[in-house]
Amino acid sequence: MADPVFRSSVTSAETTSAESTSAAAVTISDVSDWSKCSVKAGEGTETAKGFAVALGTAAQRNGVLVVHHRQHEWLLLGSAAQVDETIHNLDRDGFVSTVDLTHGRMMLRVSGPRSADVLAKVCSSNFDDAFTPNRAAWGATVARVTCDLVRDDQVGVRSYLLLCDRSYGDYFFQSLLDAADEFAD
Amino acid sequence: MSNHRIPDAPGQLINRDVPLTFTWNGRRLRGYEGDTIVSALLANGITITGRSMKYHRPRGPLTADYWDPNTTVQVGDEPNVRASHRLLRDGMNVSAQNVWPSLRFDLKSANRLVGRFLTAGFYYKTFMKPAALWPLYARVLGTFAPGGVVDLDAPPPRNDKRYAHPDVVVAGGGPAGMAAALAAAQAGASVMLVEHEHQLGGHLCWGDDTDRAEAARLAHAVRAAGVEVLTDATVTGRYEDNWLAISQRGLPGIDERLIKARAGVLIVAAGTIERPYVFAGNDLPGVMTSGAVRRLITMYGVKPGNRAVVFTANPSGDAAVVALEAAGVTIAAVVDGRLGGNVVAAHGRNRVRRVTLADGRRIDSDLLITAVGWTTPTSLLNMSGDRPVYDPEAARFFPWCPPDNVLATGGLAGDGTTEQLVAHGEATGLLAAARAGVVRHRLQHLTRRAEPVTTPEPAWPADERPPLPHGSHPALFRSTTHGIVDYSEDVSSKDLVQAADEGFDSVELVKRFTTTTMGPSQGKLETVNTVAVLAEARGETIEQVGTTVWRPPYAPISLGALAGRIHEPVRMSSIQPWHEAHGAQPILAGQWIRPNHYGDPESEVRNTRNRVGIIDITPLGKLDLQGPDVPKLLNLLYTNSWNALPQGAVRYGLMCAEDGVVLDDGVTGRLGPEHYLMTTTSSGAATVWNWAENWLQTEHPDWQVHITPVTTGLTSINVAGPDSRQLLERLTNDIDLGPDAFQYMQVRTGTVAGVANCIVWRIGFTGELSYEVHVPSGFGLFVWEQLLVHGQDLGVAPFGLEAQRIMRLEKGHFIVGQDTDGLSKAPVTGLETLLKVEKDDWVGKPEVVWALSRGDGPRIVAVQPTDPTVVPEEAAQIVAAGTNQILGRITSSRFSPTLNRSVCLAQVHPDVATPGTTLTIVLANGTRTTAQVMEHHAHFDPEGSRLRG
Repeated sequence: MADPVFRSSVTSAETTSAESTSAAAVTISDVSDWSKCSVKAGEGTETAKGFAVALGTAAQRNGVLVVHHRQHEWLLLGSAAQVDETIHNLDRDGFVSTVDLTHGRMMLRVSGPRSADVLAKVCSSNFDDAFTPNRAAWGATVARVTCDLVRDDQVGVRSYLLLCDRSYGDYFFQSLLDAADEFAD
Repeated sequence: MSNHRIPDAPGQLINRDVPLTFTWNGRRLRGYEGDTIVSALLANGITITGRSMKYHRPRGPLTADYWDPNTTVQVGDEPNVRASHRLLRDGMNVSAQNVWPSLRFDLKSANRLVGRFLTAGFYYKTFMKPAALWPLYARVLGTFAPGGVVDLDAPPPRNDKRYAHPDVVVAGGGPAGMAAALAAAQAGASVMLVEHEHQLGGHLCWGDDTDRAEAARLAHAVRAAGVEVLTDATVTGRYEDNWLAISQRGLPGIDERLIKARAGVLIVAAGTIERPYVFAGNDLPGVMTSGAVRRLITMYGVKPGNRAVVFTANPSGDAAVVALEAAGVTIAAVVDGRLGGNVVAAHGRNRVRRVTLADGRRIDSDLLITAVGWTTPTSLLNMSGDRPVYDPEAARFFPWCPPDNVLATGGLAGDGTTEQLVAHGEATGLLAAARAGVVRHRLQHLTRRAEPVTTPEPAWPADERPPLPHGSHPALFRSTTHGIVDYSEDVSSKDLVQAADEGFDSVELVKRFTTTTMGPSQGKLETVNTVAVLAEARGETIEQVGTTVWRPPYAPISLGALAGRIHEPVRMSSIQPWHEAHGAQPILAGQWIRPNHYGDPESEVRNTRNRVGIIDITPLGKLDLQGPDVPKLLNLLYTNSWNALPQGAVRYGLMCAEDGVVLDDGVTGRLGPEHYLMTTTSSGAATVWNWAENWLQTEHPDWQVHITPVTTGLTSINVAGPDSRQLLERLTNDIDLGPDAFQYMQVRTGTVAGVANCIVWRIGFTGELSYEVHVPSGFGLFVWEQLLVHGQDLGVAPFGLEAQRIMRLEKGHFIVGQDTDGLSKAPVTGLETLLKVEKDDWVGKPEVVWALSRGDGPRIVAVQPTDPTVVPEEAAQIVAAGTNQILGRITSSRFSPTLNRSVCLAQVHPDVATPGTTLTIVLANGTRTTAQVMEHHAHFDPEGSRLRG
């Protein structure tokens, strides 16, 4: 039997998890193959204390980006091995649940000096540095799709991770490409 | 061809090194880069640019700016273009609108002959009877509708949207607006400056050398300070909490953009708009405002005529005299309104030929320039809740008391020299920046994800700006004769007087009755004259009459800009690319694109009944439930009992809303001790999730349950048919698929086609032996392809939604929302065994108990037409024989390839729900047919032996 083949929901572009090093005003990369795991636990539990990430922010913990985007919920983003390890080492002192969302959420990275301008065409959030600084995490509607957003600057370059339901993948990618069109070099 | 260009001079915006060619009503003409369409037309001696809406009187440029009501034209396939504002482009095809056969000889101008019968409100008083002729009236009147031609075959314009959150938005790029923007930016605020002309500067652009130098200085400083400058843009609306709609045009590749800006503080620096004068013949081509000729001469190098009468009551009129003389125009007379002079009438057929003055003089001229005062465009202040007040000494309105986050400056707020206006603008900018700082502090403090604020909230800065003075101006609105008040709507002062005589004593009623101020200029030129004429007619003051309320939009905005880009999300399963590549006919189900069939749904049914078929059912709602209290939640949400669901088992359940109406249905399987997977209908996925969360968070926060939607995390494939077990066995090695090991209504987890963490449950919507395989979606397409490869010899083939619907109907499964509706309480389903009234509580229980006790609700029954070839339409009515008494309706119907006959489900009155009852069905063509109520819902295999095999 053939080996299983993972496919992204973005069928109209090359799937890549490589971090962009482009000098373009904006780049959009499909990073859907990152491991994504939801952890739900009460605030104030040992699990929450272990993450030590304030609501509305994200932080790197042992190579995993821990995103505290909703009350009682954290999203772990990273390589499968590191996410698995983090899950394995969770301090489950009470009612804690985990769900693997790797296949259910598509994830795009929008990077570059004009990345906020692209997003401002499809999202009403305030992308000012004071309101969404690096490592801010929040929920918003982007091109009429409910998304989680994380500002995750890369080597000083403005960068955002956008996660939405996998089924919107192609539409969502095309919508961002359309918004970015005027910033193409 | 006439050439009305004057020599190059400082201040001109045209580039004579770049000539442009365009056509006007088919005539080839030339202009220059930087010209507006109207300046190019006038330079070519074209003075008639359109016809009026109702009387089709010839019209020419009046204000020669954004608000000009007489210069709306068609450009290519784009109607209603403001020719006094739109910049000329090479190759433009420009034509007059709403004329036939031509602009010069417009037959519709015959309306002028019957003008006395077309007075205000005539269409409210005529065309009333007979009502039967309304369609004819509408068709005839439609030919008189103004506006250009919409070319439905033309490519659609490209419009988009943008969101912005500037600290300060300045509406108006004149001296005060620029100074305000500059001061605010230098104080650290983020500033957006919006100017509806193509360049900053406002009235300084058509002033003297000193004015233009100051405009250039400010414009340069504004940009250097990092202000975001939007030209050819308009703040069209101000809404709650400084939510602003800004229309921006002229962007590369984008026809019009709507910016939704949330500003900390809005500065309104819209300046003033020169008001036309009302007198006989005031709409003849050649009658212009002083600002119009100053702009045409100074900015575009156009000589607007040869011999002018200037009626002036202010410095702008005086400056127009100077500009006209410099352009070589003969000044036939200067009539000073400040000294009691007045204009009575302009005469001419297609343009001004002679002017009659109040002193009786009749002067030959082809230009009549008026400078009679100003209108303050307070629209954005009105939209903010302000009610501007009239100052009779200055003969115009001024702001009264706008909210704290809206500030006015510039000519809107008062008069003064350029220095005074700039100083007021600077003070306003500083105040705005300080107030915006407070707003920003509050918002940042309230936003968890924002940078933390460490300083206490600053005090709200008081407004300590010294006010601008109000200059004195004679009150000149109407002469001793009547003329046009609203040029766009062809409303005269006589119409307004008549409206007042008919009892329309409120200015708001007069507006609606006569349509004055309702045209494209949105009252900028007409409102004050309307009020003045009405005041005169009623013997009252302007303050007593008051004004109409200016509402959004400040200026018309295209519907395309409001729509923006078409963001219509569509959802696709991981297998959809395969469906498309293999000829599936798509169907849109909610947001989902699904394969309806692959060419022959009946063949797909036969293959599935006889061999094995696979269908992509990914949209099926799926919720991951975890926690020790999941059974409590299930007992609350479902009507049946969930206390003893063994691990590895699956159970069907029905959900009701609180009114007892069927909300959704589906199955839930127990994957682990505290781990469950719930499925819902495809359309009900989000509803059920929200509903369940609502119960948990509001009524039972103590229950330990976590719900996570996983609908598209799992690609769902139904493998159905007699050979489905054989096929699946080829792809699994860690799940025992034997009929005893894996029974009907059970669930297993394992590896399918090498993909781990798959969930397989044995249930059957089609009525066949079947397995629902839920695969991590990244591998969904891979597993689908493997099923096809490994089932080739078994005859595996995909089937679509239509085949599934046929098979479920053969099996008698109802669909929530198809066979039930918004009034269908649970007993309608006939599933009484699932309605556990002995349970403590479940959502909808009281209503369902009541409905059960009444027993008079409709029932879902299986129905088979007497004539097996007749397939009644869905929603066909069921009536009592020989009457029109409605007893129910067909809810689902198909021709069954399995049974070779038509099969239906229906909702019927309980009196006719008994098996064997003969029903009468009214078909869509009006004929009637009969059908019989069946014993079971299932038309096919009612014992269920196939799915339990």
